[in-house]
This record gives sequence, C-alpha cells and structure tokens, in this order.
Amino acid sequence: MTSTTMTQPLYTPHADTPRATLSGIPFGRLVRVEWVKATDTRASRWLLIAVAATTVGLMLAPIFSPSSIDQSYTSYLGFAAVALSILLPVVSILTLTSEWSQRTALATFTQEPRRMRVITAKITVSLMLGASAAVFGGLVTAAGLGVAAASGRTLDANLNPGLLVAFLLYVVLNVMTGVALGALVHNSAAAIVASFVLPIGFALLGRASQLVAEWLDYSTTFNWLLNGEWSGHTSQILVSVILWVAIPLAAGLLRTVRREID
Amino acid sequence: MITTTALTKSYGNARVVSDVSLHCEPGTITGFLGPNGAGKSTTLKMIVGLARPDHGSSTVGGHPFVDLPNPTRVVGTLLDPSAMHSGRTGRATLAIAARMAGVPTTRVGELLDLVGLADAADRRVGDYSLGMRQRLGIAQTLVGEPEVLILDEPANGLDPEGIAWMRGLLRDFADRGGTVLLSSHLLHEVQATVDHLVVISRGAVVASGRLADLLASSSLLIRTPDPENLARALRAARIDYQPGPDQTFTVDVLGGRVTPEMVARVALEQQVLLTELRQSDSGGLEQLFFSLTAAKTAQPQEAAA
Repeated sequence: MTSTTMTQPLYTPHADTPRATLSGIPFGRLVRVEWVKATDTRASRWLLIAVAATTVGLMLAPIFSPSSIDQSYTSYLGFAAVALSILLPVVSILTLTSEWSQRTALATFTQEPRRMRVITAKITVSLMLGASAAVFGGLVTAAGLGVAAASGRTLDANLNPGLLVAFLLYVVLNVMTGVALGALVHNSAAAIVASFVLPIGFALLGRASQLVAEWLDYSTTFNWLLNGEWSGHTSQILVSVILWVAIPLAAGLLRTVRREID
Repeated sequence: MITTTALTKSYGNARVVSDVSLHCEPGTITGFLGPNGAGKSTTLKMIVGLARPDHGSSTVGGHPFVDLPNPTRVVGTLLDPSAMHSGRTGRATLAIAARMAGVPTTRVGELLDLVGLADAADRRVGDYSLGMRQRLGIAQTLVGEPEVLILDEPANGLDPEGIAWMRGLLRDFADRGGTVLLSSHLLHEVQATVDHLVVISRGAVVASGRLADLLASSSLLIRTPDPENLARALRAARIDYQPGPDQTFTVDVLGGRVTPEMVARVALEQQVLLTELRQSDSGGLEQLFFSLTAAKTAQPQEAAA
C-alpha cells in the first residue's frame, strides 16, 4: 500500500492517444456486461434456479395426474409456459430496478451516459433470457412427455410449429411485462409486488366486467395467444400488450433518460 | 482538465448551485471544500451528467462529459462508495467496470492489490466496511486509466492510515499529469492533500485559488514586551494594527503587501524588541474556511433584517 506498489495501475499520460476521442462502447459489449450483471449475483442465481425448479416441478403435475389432466403435447407445454411466467418476469424486473435499489445507476450511467443504450442492452438481455428459458421449457416438456410415453400412455401429439412460436411469444411477452414494470417502477420491492398484485387485481375486475376480462386482463389474452386462439382475439391481445408492455415501457424509458440520479 | 462555467441548479425554489465556475489543470489536486449541503455533490453530479444544470456548462478533458464516447477511459468518478451492488464481490464489481471500459481484466487484480483489498476481493461488497468500499471505489475510478479523477468525499470512512495512503496515491496520480477534483468537509484532510482550493458555501464559490495564496492572505501575530513603542513605530510606518491580549498585535498582511520582514525592520529601526512574529492563523485553513462560510452565511440575514 505504499507508493512503490502503485507504479503500474495508475494513469500514465500517453501523448499519442487522445482519450476523449476513443471509440465508444460497442453495443455487444454493453449486452455482455448486462448479461453478467443479470446473472452474477446470489439473488439472481437463486432466482434462475427457482425458475428451473418451478418448471420441472409443475411438469410433474400432468405426469402424476393422468386422470384429471389432459394428456396432450400442448397440455404439457402449457405447464412449462405457466411455470416460466411466474418467476421469469421477476428476473427481468430486477435487471432494471436493481440499478436504482442498489444505487449502481450512479456508476452505470457514468460508465455509459447514453442511458437509452444501457436500457436497450438490458431489454436485449431479458429477451435472451426469455428465449433461453423458453428453450429450457421446451426441453423439460419433451422430457415430461418422454416419461409419460415411457409409462405406456397414449399422448395426443397436437403440437404444430405455430403453437411452438406462440409458446415462445407467450414467454417473451410475460418477460416484457416484467421489463416494462421494472423500467417504470424504479424500486425492486414495489415492482415485484406490482407484478403479482396487478394481474390478480385485473383478473378479479375481469369477473365483474367482461370488458376488462377480454381486453385488459393479460392472463386471459396471453392464454388465447398460448393456445393459438388468435382468430377473433387478435385485437384484444394487441390492446393488452399495448397496456402492459408498450405504454409502461415507453413511460419508463422516458423517466430513466430524464431522471436525475442520486 | 475540468472546466465548469457558471453552473446553476435549483430544486423547486431552492437554488442549490449558483454560478459555479471552476478550472482544474493537469498535474493539480483541487479541493472542493464546503460545509454539508453547500452544493458540492450536486455540482459534481452536473459535471458527470447525472444531474442537469439549469444553465451553465462543464467539460472534462475538453468535452462535455455526456459526449465522451467511453467516459471511464477519460475520467474516473466516485460519488458514493455505498452505491455498489451489495450482492456482488469486489472482484466482480471491478471486472464489470473493466469490461465496460474495454481494458484487460488482468487490471482487476493489480487494482485490488493497489487498494489493499486483495484478501477481501471475493467477499460480497455488502460485507465491506465503508472504508473498504471507499478503497474499492477508488480502484473502480482507476480501472480505465483515466486522466481525470472526480471524487466526492473520498476520505469518508477511511482511518488515518487510509487517508495518508490515499493522499500519496492522489499526489502520485497528479504528479504523473493527472487532474484531481475532490470534495470534502474535512478541512485537515484537504489542507494536506490539495494544492488548489475552491470553497463553496450556499451553492456559490466564496474563494478559489492556490492553497498557498489563500493561506497567505491572513494576518501576522506580533508579541513585544514594549507595546507602546511598537504601536508608535507601526503608526509611523503606516501599518494598521489591532492590539490583542498579552502584549500582542495583529496585523493584516493585505494580500502580501505587509510581510514579517517589513514588521521586523520597523521594530529594528525603532529599537523595539520582538519576542514573537509569525502567521497568526493557528487553525490555518480551518480559520479561512469558517470565516468565508460564516461571512457568507451571515450576509443574507443582514440583508433581510
């Protein structure tokens, strides 16, 4: 800790490299850094383990209850979809809110003052996590179906590429509701609570009002998407995406870019 | 190099920073000194683009901070050592900073050694003391080999040994041609570390310049067993004086126009014995600091009365 040890890491002026005109941070590097930040803490690792465990755990339901649960490919895949939609949005929420709750925004936005690039990188990471989780969900479904088939059951192979795309969209859209909420509500606890309470609230309201249920309650509209029931529901699905993803995300980006950081 | 021009910022009706202009040259350490709530942190945040000035501007290395393509290669910023992810290790925190800056991650180990955190590198930052976070924060500012350091209260939480260590580190950094701007309300720490000073009170700069110049502009204390003859001699030499207790006089140096040599010569010519002749500022910067900030604080009250 004396001056003899500090010769190397300190600044030594280089006349030949004007630092202020170095090239900017490539977007790929921002994405890599945000990927690390989203996955390298104890909390995020446990959360990802919990996502995996929930998926595997819920897959046991159709395997062990063949009499009460429809034994079809889509039914099994539906369990993976529901499992991923519970905790995966929380991972996305934390990716965005931890900058504020842990106050790392102070460092992050002095490392890259173009805040929109940082947020875009975080959204990219969330989409990558969502897509990876969807693939994982697909593999768990395949394993579940394998076990069911091995036990001698006949399974309805009612899956088609369109439904697989719908499954991927369902997972990604659920992730995006978390992203949007995290971008808007700059507090981890509040955003997580909102992500669980708001859908329940809208589901309850939906019991009282057909309008709310069919247009605003995304658990209903996203289920139409998951089950491939596009026809007649396309506008409802779009309206709920605008309400739960587009509007809060746009407001959140605006807030993040304008906010003063302390 | 850091330059700000008339930075001004209000929150609601409260003006927290008012026309703050400062200039930090390469090779110097500038102390940004003021009591808590004087607007130091807000000024630093405006310089690094975390807060928007109402008007005024600032540049770091000749460019507005937010226009720097890769800021940490130019300026290392430490605004709050507690603003680190508590669930991440010290090593991981620095590795992220190194990746962002685009420097080899081998630098992480070097920096952990430099700041004395090699043994604690794989512990979570949440388990660090404030002093350890401060050291980690210093390491983080150095990741990108910047030419400028901006540090808000870097001595907070450091023990005397740590403060001495940081003083050496910053001196070394400046001696290599780096520019340092650090804020503090710890007067003694600043006095021993900086060579330039900007004193801020209630959002406005009340004094700035070289530390030596600011300290020199105080007064002389003279002691004599023969006060009557000394008073006569000073009057004859047209030097204003204030009689003090215990046969002392204080003489304002008037920004260097009155020197100890001048006083000694006056006494010699009039055959007056002096038993003491020195700079009277026993508290050094502390006295300057309190006089400047107290005067500034008192003024608005007088105006209101």
